[in-house]
Amino acid sequence: MLDPYIPLVLMFALAFGFAAFSVAIAPLVGPRRYNKAKLDAYECGIEPSPQPVGGGGRMPVAYYLTAMMFILFDIEMVFLFPYAVSADALGLYGVVAVILFILTFGFADLYVWRRGGFDWD
Amino acid sequence: MNLLLALILLPLLGAIVVALLRGNERAAKPVALGFSLAELVLAAVAWASYRPGGARLQLSGSIEWIPTYGISLSFGLDGIALVMVAVIALLMPLVLGFSWRERLPSERSRGGFFALLLVEQALTVAVFAATDVFVFYVLFEIMLIPMYFLIGGYGGSRRQYAAVKFFLYSFLGGLIMLASAIGAYSYAARTTGQGTFDWATLRGVLADAPTSVQVWIFLGFFAAFAIKAPLVPLHTWLPDAAEQAPIGVAVIVVGVLDKVGTFGFLRYSLPLAPEASQLLAPLVLTLGVVGVLYGSLQAFAQTDLKRFIAYVSIAHFGFIALGIFAFTSQAQVGAASYMVNHSIATGMLVLVIGMIIARGGSSRIADYGGMARVTPLLAGMLLVAGLSTLSLPGTNSFISEFLVLIGSFATRPVFAILATVGMVLAAVYVLRLYQRIMQGPLSGTALLDSAGGPGAATDPEFAASGGTGSGASRLALRDLDGREIGVLAPLVVLIVLLGLYPAPVLDVITPSVEATMSEVGVTDPVTSQGGN
Amino acid sequence: MGVVARTGVPDRHSEVLAQQSTDMPPIAYAAVAPVLIVLVAACLGVLVEAFVPRRQRWAVQVALSLLTVVCAGAALIRHAREINTGGTTFADTVAVGPATLFLWGTLLALALGAILLIADRSIEPGGAFVAETNAASGGTASRHPADAPGAASAEVMDRASASVVGMRTEVFPLVLFSLGGMMVFCAANDLLTMFVALEVLSLPLYLLCGLARRRRLLSQEAAVKYFLLGAFASAFFLYGLALLYGYAGSVKFSDIADATAGSLRSDTLLFAGLGLVVMGLLFKGSVGPFHLWTPDVYHGAPTAVTGFMAACTKVAAFGGLLRLLHVAFRASSWEWHWVLWSVAVLSMVIGVVSGLTQRDLKRMIAYSSIAHAGFLMVGAITLTERGLSATLFYLLAYGFTTLAVFGTIGLVRTSEGEATHLSDWAGLAKRSPVVATVFTFLLLALAGIPATSGFMGKFAVFSAAFSAGMGPLVVIALLASALAAFIYLRVIVLMFFNDPAPDGPTVSVPGAFTTAAITLGVVVTLLLGLVPMLALDWASVGGFVS
Repeated sequence: MLDPYIPLVLMFALAFGFAAFSVAIAPLVGPRRYNKAKLDAYECGIEPSPQPVGGGGRMPVAYYLTAMMFILFDIEMVFLFPYAVSADALGLYGVVAVILFILTFGFADLYVWRRGGFDWD
Repeated sequence: MNLLLALILLPLLGAIVVALLRGNERAAKPVALGFSLAELVLAAVAWASYRPGGARLQLSGSIEWIPTYGISLSFGLDGIALVMVAVIALLMPLVLGFSWRERLPSERSRGGFFALLLVEQALTVAVFAATDVFVFYVLFEIMLIPMYFLIGGYGGSRRQYAAVKFFLYSFLGGLIMLASAIGAYSYAARTTGQGTFDWATLRGVLADAPTSVQVWIFLGFFAAFAIKAPLVPLHTWLPDAAEQAPIGVAVIVVGVLDKVGTFGFLRYSLPLAPEASQLLAPLVLTLGVVGVLYGSLQAFAQTDLKRFIAYVSIAHFGFIALGIFAFTSQAQVGAASYMVNHSIATGMLVLVIGMIIARGGSSRIADYGGMARVTPLLAGMLLVAGLSTLSLPGTNSFISEFLVLIGSFATRPVFAILATVGMVLAAVYVLRLYQRIMQGPLSGTALLDSAGGPGAATDPEFAASGGTGSGASRLALRDLDGREIGVLAPLVVLIVLLGLYPAPVLDVITPSVEATMSEVGVTDPVTSQGGN
Repeated sequence: MGVVARTGVPDRHSEVLAQQSTDMPPIAYAAVAPVLIVLVAACLGVLVEAFVPRRQRWAVQVALSLLTVVCAGAALIRHAREINTGGTTFADTVAVGPATLFLWGTLLALALGAILLIADRSIEPGGAFVAETNAASGGTASRHPADAPGAASAEVMDRASASVVGMRTEVFPLVLFSLGGMMVFCAANDLLTMFVALEVLSLPLYLLCGLARRRRLLSQEAAVKYFLLGAFASAFFLYGLALLYGYAGSVKFSDIADATAGSLRSDTLLFAGLGLVVMGLLFKGSVGPFHLWTPDVYHGAPTAVTGFMAACTKVAAFGGLLRLLHVAFRASSWEWHWVLWSVAVLSMVIGVVSGLTQRDLKRMIAYSSIAHAGFLMVGAITLTERGLSATLFYLLAYGFTTLAVFGTIGLVRTSEGEATHLSDWAGLAKRSPVVATVFTFLLLALAGIPATSGFMGKFAVFSAAFSAGMGPLVVIALLASALAAFIYLRVIVLMFFNDPAPDGPTVSVPGAFTTAAITLGVVVTLLLGLVPMLALDWASVGGFVS
C-alpha cells in the first residue's frame, strides 16, 4: 500500500543528503581567502544598508517599491501560469477572465509608471 | 380632534414666533403672553364642549403614523386629562407674567426662555391628550428636552447637575416604560395576531392577560411614573431640579410635569394592568405613605425655600398615590381633583416664594424674617398659599384630601391613618415656615443686606423693631406691585372658589374615574359610603 | 430581468478541470450593475490618476466619484423595481435579494455623503489629506511618488503652499474600491467570495486611515494598527473558513445550511469554524470584545474617512453578518445564540462604560459606535423577518447620523487642526449656535431620543427582539441606552451651559460639499424619526436569498 510513496521518500532522503553533504564538505575542501567582502551579509556586492536599522541608519525607500513591484508581478505570474496550462479546458470564459485580470493589473501598472514608480532616480 | 390639535399646535406656533423674535425682548414678551392667553381661551372652549357623562375619550381623532407597528397619532381627552390641560393653560400666562422681569443668567435671552416654556406647554398638552401608548412614550421623552434646556440654561449655580440628573432619571424611567409598552404590543400581537399600541385596544386585550404578564407591564409603567410623580425612593431628582430651576420653571415642574406621573397611574397603569395593579397596590400604598411621612419630615429640615417646596410636593404626591391605589371611587376622585388643586396651591406657593426670593436675592430660609411688617400683602399671599397647601377647610385642597382619606379608610384603614399624620405635619411645617419668614422682627441677612451700604441713615422704625436696616431697605423691600398681584389674584380666586364650590371640577372628573374603576373591575365597598 | 437565472456549473472543481471546456456562467448584469459600475469607476479613477494633469485631478475625481455613486444608485433603483425575490448569479457566488438591495442602497447613499465630506477643500485648505508631493513645492525634493515614512508631515507643508498643491486624489478611487468591496460583501453567497470582498473593502481603508494631512504620526499609527489587527481578523476568518469547509465540504452558504440541518458531522468543526468566521466579522463591525482598534483608528484617521468607516463599514460588516446568520447558520442558531447574546451585552457595556470616561470627542463617538454595535447585535440575532428589517433600518439610520456627526466634528478647529478634545467644545453654542444645535440634534439621535431616526431604529430592533423572546436582552439594552444618554448629555451640557475658553477653537464655515453632507445626514435623521415608514417599508420587502 505504501509502494507508490517509497520513491518519494527516497528522493527526500537523497535531497537532504545532498544538501547536508554540500554544507559539510565545503569548509573542508574549499579555498580560504579572507577579505572585506567575505564579512558582508551578502557576498554579491550590494551593501544591504549603510548601517544596521537599529543604529539609526536609513535605507533607500526605493527598495520597498522594487520589492513590492516584484511581488506584484510574481503574483500575476502565479495566476497566469496555471491559466496557460489549462487554457483549453477553460475556454472562452477563461480568456475573458484572464483578460479582465491583466487589464485591471495593467491599470495599476500604468499608474505606477506615470508616477515614476519604475524610475530608480 | 381639531380643537385638540389646535390646543397642541397653538403654543408650538407661539414658540416659533417668539423664538424668531427673541432678539427683540419688548416684542417677544407680549407675543408669548398673547399666545398663552389664547391657549387659555381654547382650553375654556374645550372645557365647555366636554360632556361629562359622554364618551370615555372626547375630542378624539387619529392619524396613521407607522402602520407596520400599529401606531397612529391618536389624541383624545377624558375628564382628568381635560382638567390637567386646563391647569397648564391657566398656569402658563401666570408663569410668563411672573418671569416678566426675573433675572436670568447672563447672556440668556428672555425670548428663548419664553419660547421653551411654550414648547413645554405644547408637549405637556399633547402628553395628556395622547391615546396611543407609543405616542405617549414619545412625547413623554421629548418633553424632557425643553425642560432640560430650561433648567440647564436658565437655572441656578448648580443647574447643569440638576438638569442632567433630571433628564437621566426621567429618561431611564421612560425606557423601562418603553420595554413594558413593547411587551404589551408583543402580547397583543401574539394573542390577536395584530400588534397595536392603541390604548383602548390594548386595554381590551390586556384585561384577559395572565397576571404574570400584567405584573411585568405594570412594573415597567410604574417605574416611569414613580420617577415622574416622585415616589419616595425615586424622588431625589426633584429637590435638585426645583432648587436649581428658575421659579417659573419650578411652577411647571411641580405643578404640571409631575402630574404626568399620577395621570399615568390613572390612565395607563390601572387600565392596562388591572389585576397587577390590585395585586401590587400594597407596594404603591407603602411607597405613597412613606412619601407622605418622609416628605413632611424632610420639609421640616430644609433650609432652602425651593427644596422645601419640593419635599412638600413629594408628600402630596404620596397622598395622590394613596388615593389612586386605594381603589374606591371616592379616593380616586379625591386623588384626581388633588392633582388640580395641588397644582393651584403649590403653583401659588412657588410663585409667592419666587417673589420673596426676588426681594431678598437668597433662597435660604434663615436669610428672612419678619417680612410681614414691610410687605403685608406678600405675607397675606404666602398665608393663603400655605393654608391651601396644608388643606385648611374652605380652601380647594381640603375637599380633595378629605376625599382621599375617607375613601382610602374604607379599604386601607392603616394607610389612611398614617397619611392623616401627614396632614397634621403639613399644618406644622407650613405655619412654621410662615412664622420664620413673615413674623417677628425684621431680620435676616438677605433683607438687611439689600439695604444701602454701611453709613446709611438709620431708619427709626426699623431700629425700633430691632432691625439694623436702613431707609433704602424699605425701597428694596417693596410690597407686591400690580403685575405680581395680577399673577397671584386668579389663583387666590380659584383657591377660595374651588374650596367652597368644587363641583365644576368634580363633575368633570367623576365619570372618568368611575370609568377607570370599572376598567379595573373594582366596585366600591358598600359599607364605606359616608366614610365616617 | 425577472428572477436571476441559476447557472449550470457543476459543483466539484475536480470535475471542472476534467472536462474539456467550461461554459461562461450566465451573469445577471442588471442585478449586479451597481457593483460593476462602482468597481469599473474605481479602475477608471486609477487611470485618471495616471493621465490627468495634476491641477485637474481633484475636479475630475470628485465628478467621477459622485457620478459613479449616482449611476450605481440609479441602476439599483431600476433593478429593485423589477425583482420580486432575487436570485444568485456569477455561478452562485453572489446572491442579490431584497435585503441585499437595501444594504446596497444604504451603502451608496452613505458613500455619497462620505465622498462629499472627503472632497471638501474649504475647511482645511487643500483638503484633509496628505499633500501631493511635488518637487516644486519646497526645498526637500522628494524623489519618489510614495511618501517617505514620516517625511511629508504637516511641518513640511505650510498652509499657503498646501492650498496651492492640493491633496492626494488617490483617496477617491480607494473609497470606490472599498465601497465595491462592501457591496460584494453584503451579497456574497459563499465564504470565499466573502473573504475576497472583505479584503477588497479593508485594504483601501487601511491606506485611507494613514493619509491625514495633520497629525501624521497619529494617522500612521492608526493605519498600522488597523492593518495589523485587521490582518489578524482576516486570518481568523480564513481559518474559520477552512474549518467550515472541512465540516460541510463546501464553502457555499446553502450547502453549509444543509449540512447544519440535522447531520451527524463533527460539531467541533462547525463551532470552531463559525466562531472564527464570526469573529472576523465582529472585528469589522467593531463589536464588543473585538473593538480594540476602533478608538485609536477613529481618532487617528482623517475625520472624513472616519465618517466613511463608521457609517459604511458598519453597514457592510453587519450586512455580511446578517446574511451569514440568516442564510447559513439559521438551523444551528440554538447552539450559538447565547454566545452572540453575551457578545451583544458585552459590546453595549464596554461601549457605554468606556464612553463615559473619554475626553476626546472622536474617541467618544468611537465607543458610542461600539455600544451601537451591541444594539445592532440584538437585532442581528433575532433571525426573524421583523428583526432583519429592523436591523436594516437601524443601519441606515445610524449610518446617516454618524456621517453627519463626523462631518460636524470636522468643523471645529484650532490653528493646529481639528479640536476634538472635549474641553475645546465648551461654550460652542455661544460662538456658533447653529453648529451646536445641529450637533445636539445628532447626539440626541445617537442617544435614541424620540423624533429622531436613532429612536425609531432602536424601537424597531428592540420590539423585534422582544417578539423573538429576548425580553431580558431588551431590558439590558434599554438600560444601556439610558446610561449611554449620559455620554451625549455631557457634550450637550458642555456646548450649551459652559463658558467658552478665551483661546478656544473657531468654527469653520463649511464649504458647499460639507454643508451638503451634514444637511443630508440631519435631514435623513429627522425624516426617519418622524416618518419612519419611508425606509421601513423598503427594509421589510423581503429577506436574503441564497
